[in-house]
Amino acid sequence: MRKGQHRFVAGFLLLPVALYLIFVIWPYIQTFGYSLTDWKGQSQTFSFVGLDNYTKLLQDDIFMGAIWHNILFLVFIPVITILLALFFAFMVNAGGRGRSGGVSGVAGSKYYRVIYFFPQVLSLAIMAVLFGAVYRSDGGGMLNGVLIKLGLVDKNNPVEWLNEPNFVLWALIAVVVWHGVGFYLVLFSAAMQSIPRDVYEAALIDGAGRAQSFFRITLPLLWDSVQTAWVYLGIAAMDMFILVSTMTAGDYGGGPDHHSEVMSTVMMRNFLLYGRSGYACAMGVVMLVLTLIVSVVMLRATRRERIEF
Amino acid sequence: MSAPLKETAPTGGPTPPPPPVAKGTVRPGDRRGEGVVLNVFSHGFLVVWAVLIVLPLLWLVLSSFKTDTQIGGSAFGWPQNWDPGVFSRAWEKGIGDYFLNTVIVLVFSVPLTMLLGSMAAYVLARYEFWGNRFLYYFFVAGAMFPVFLALVPLFFMVKRLDMLNSYQGLILVYVAYSMPFTVFFMHAFFRTLPTAVFEAAILDGASHTRTFFQVMLPMAKPGLLSVGIFNTLGQWNQYILPTVLMQPQSGDDPERYVLTQGLIQLQQQQGYASDLPVLFAGVTIAMVPMLVVYLSFQRQVQAGLTSATLK
Amino acid sequence: MGSTSAENNGTGSTENNGTSGVGRRALIKRSAALGLVSVPAMSFLSACASGGGEDNSGDNEGKTSESNPFGVKEGSKLDVVIFKGGYGDDYAKAWEAAFEKEWGVTSVHTGTQEITGKLQPRFNAGNPPDIVDDSGAQQIPIDVLHKNGQLLDLAEVLDAPSVDDPDVKVRDTLIPGTLDAGMQEGKVVALNYIYTVWGLWYSGKLFQEKGWEAPKTWDDFLAICKDAKDGGIGGLAHQGKYPYYINVAIMDLIAKKGGLDAMKAIDNLDPKAFVGSDAAQEAIEAVYEVVEKGYLMPGTNGLTHNESQTRWNQYKAAFITSGSWLENEQLKTTPDDFDMKFLPMPLLPDSALPFEAIRAGSGEPFIIPSKAKNLPAAKEFMRRMLSKEWSTLFAKEANSLTILKDGVDTGVQLRPGTQSTVEASKAAGDNTFRFLYTEWYSEMGTAIENASNELMAKRIQPKEWLKRAQAAVDKQAKDPASKQNRRD
Repeated sequence: MRKGQHRFVAGFLLLPVALYLIFVIWPYIQTFGYSLTDWKGQSQTFSFVGLDNYTKLLQDDIFMGAIWHNILFLVFIPVITILLALFFAFMVNAGGRGRSGGVSGVAGSKYYRVIYFFPQVLSLAIMAVLFGAVYRSDGGGMLNGVLIKLGLVDKNNPVEWLNEPNFVLWALIAVVVWHGVGFYLVLFSAAMQSIPRDVYEAALIDGAGRAQSFFRITLPLLWDSVQTAWVYLGIAAMDMFILVSTMTAGDYGGGPDHHSEVMSTVMMRNFLLYGRSGYACAMGVVMLVLTLIVSVVMLRATRRERIEF
Repeated sequence: MSAPLKETAPTGGPTPPPPPVAKGTVRPGDRRGEGVVLNVFSHGFLVVWAVLIVLPLLWLVLSSFKTDTQIGGSAFGWPQNWDPGVFSRAWEKGIGDYFLNTVIVLVFSVPLTMLLGSMAAYVLARYEFWGNRFLYYFFVAGAMFPVFLALVPLFFMVKRLDMLNSYQGLILVYVAYSMPFTVFFMHAFFRTLPTAVFEAAILDGASHTRTFFQVMLPMAKPGLLSVGIFNTLGQWNQYILPTVLMQPQSGDDPERYVLTQGLIQLQQQQGYASDLPVLFAGVTIAMVPMLVVYLSFQRQVQAGLTSATLK
Repeated sequence: MGSTSAENNGTGSTENNGTSGVGRRALIKRSAALGLVSVPAMSFLSACASGGGEDNSGDNEGKTSESNPFGVKEGSKLDVVIFKGGYGDDYAKAWEAAFEKEWGVTSVHTGTQEITGKLQPRFNAGNPPDIVDDSGAQQIPIDVLHKNGQLLDLAEVLDAPSVDDPDVKVRDTLIPGTLDAGMQEGKVVALNYIYTVWGLWYSGKLFQEKGWEAPKTWDDFLAICKDAKDGGIGGLAHQGKYPYYINVAIMDLIAKKGGLDAMKAIDNLDPKAFVGSDAAQEAIEAVYEVVEKGYLMPGTNGLTHNESQTRWNQYKAAFITSGSWLENEQLKTTPDDFDMKFLPMPLLPDSALPFEAIRAGSGEPFIIPSKAKNLPAAKEFMRRMLSKEWSTLFAKEANSLTILKDGVDTGVQLRPGTQSTVEASKAAGDNTFRFLYTEWYSEMGTAIENASNELMAKRIQPKEWLKRAQAAVDKQAKDPASKQNRRD
């Protein structure tokens, strides 16, 4: 029995682990190898340079600025997305007050749940096209067009959303949030539905308002899901490559003047445009280490007593 | 993530005691006033958000019916060119082939992802052995790597296996890169399944393998479904991996682009010889099947995720 | 590891290739010791190196003769990758058909925008195509390819007899100076095939309606911009999302004001290229005046090239910056009576060059990878490209001129914009110039473009622009590899 069990465990793990090792782990390890070379990216000729790439990295202002932007994303993307998703999930699942006194979603919640999920079917590349039109810098853009009609923006001086150093990061955050809320709404909804109705009804009888039932019941019971969401959104915030590189100005994005630069765009520019691929790999390793640190910190920070019910 | 190894029944356990809600701190009269304000505000907000989502998408679809000059000119303006031919034009640009390629890949990659992912997750969730914890984190950590980093070595790996620009190559890579997400969620899910059934099956003399396939897996169906759908969405929208791996390696290698690649190619062509309506028509075509999948399964997705969160 | 013949074969073994071979060998030793870099990948590489060698020297080599100087082998295959941009790729298909008829060599054709995505893996794997039009937004930078030893020195093709007149070398049939853009460290490694002029563009129709004359001086230019603004449209449009375009205008003003010396100072990384150069200062202040007076088309700083060019086609601005590909790119959105016209950059007072002087030169780099499998056919293909027959094919299909002197049969009818560039080139005569720093130093180019973007958005002043541009030059000058590029 015992032996059979071991064989079973090994048998079940063999294929998944093998695939994962070959296609995921091993390439990453090789990347680390490349980061110690002066590889130029267009041929397999290079020599070993030790930690040179890493010491250069510390003096690279653009990359350091990019880290800072990633940190901003890391703070704001999860917070805004989770708060919105929580709010919507609560409204859709427990925000309504049925005439019979029961707890249910607000009117039309069935439709909200479907509509909010729509952005998930768009790939990020398509989102970039879409939001390119939204943020277009002249009167032909959706945002500018609306604001000009409302008289909030001067026709001859439209807002160049993605060309404003102070705004470009927020414009990008808005896109990610727009895209992500639906997914987390579904995630949180699922968790909320597993909260027994009678918990809410009991609270209702005790005279709890909507806000109270949210903070006292829903949130604590949802903590696990929130933690999951936090980690996933944090990882997304560390990447951001596709959106930044296609939506903002400059080769591989990052403009205006590096104000929206993230680690991955700096990395790709060095990798492909400047032909400093070994250096780019060193950036990649730094990204990886930072992401790992972030995940661990997030998991620690959000750890709480679990509430059983 | 470090959950105690104890069972938590999802729902329908013994009726729990009500959580500590502060009693009587809010007088009923207050609550009604608060309710009205909140109601207007929250309903309004829900509606606004829905509009914010629908409008851009609608704009995307309507743009298929605009002329190039209209699209280049201004984001507004009602379409003037109601010609359904734009969709067949998009289809002829290869969207049909890209579509087929994507379907071929996903038909194999998603079930394989689910099978291998569940096997690993199941063993990690239900069996104690040396290295269990390590393996679990090993899988989950994969979600933290930026894919770009692996691209070049990955390219060489796939090349060595002689699987560049081949369906099987992309399928295996998709499976591998979907492991972290799948193991993570299925692990949580298997943990919630009751032990009793499992023990009964073993006592009945079923092998571990049989127990898994005939007892545990069917019980995990809601989880499989929802994680499966998320994997479908993820792999459907994947762009970077096919860009590197599904390129013809010589001129006479046939093109096996997947849909996202095809759309980006369409988009890039627009930079030079614009036929922007075709791009939007292509995007619309790509969007519809995923919407259909989600709409038909959304109940199951919700149900499936119920117990599959981080535990 | 396999033979090193792959690198050295056929190319007259460039210095770069030699050193990279050593580097690779040394690395393998070290990496074996370190155990860091993957052994499988490396052994794969060596397999590939030797494989390339066999392909190179064996199958595709035919007998050489007077009419077949490179030894094209009948029945072999040619792998052609064409950047499918503003010029499309129909011209290349027409060439390939002609090539097959002549030599019995079938071409495998790929037309794409994703040059990097498609080709970087193939270059890395030592399996590149035979001939590539490496251009567009996703071009693999020529300097990077060259540094990696991936490019064939094209001297052999250029010194071969011309197809049209076997007594003349190919090199001598080209418009003077057009090979310069493809030089890296003294060798021509890329053939920039299309003859391009850069400057401003306007609509003949709009100008006639408004009673404007094409301006020859900067003051006249500003006056029209003002008039346009008063009439409710923009003066100058540019493709702000890609600062490349406005940067060309700025640089050209510098060159015209300060003469060729001002231009060379920049290309040669002079410590006074920008800060301390009067030409640079006056030019940037002139451009800034356009910004300050609000003569830019509203929103133009953030628009893509499609968006701003379409707006200009809709008469929303008087001028736009671009090169001569503009007309072909805008075929679909240009109204029939638009009457597109080219205009050399207007002159600042006391300029060193005359008004007619234009930035002219060659674009659209065609390269032959040094590890191409069918080198003989690739070389022959390139030789044919520089024949009158093929050059005419190009003009017909892509509506543009090539670097071949008198390269178009007189019977071919050109569109108004292209026609106006032909006239401008004639008027310019020898008064043409061309910056080379963009081909040599990708990073410095990017840094200057960034600064220009900031200037257009009014976030920095001319003084700061000069400082930043100079800083980019100084940084590049510190790179020891920069010493190998120099123009006199």
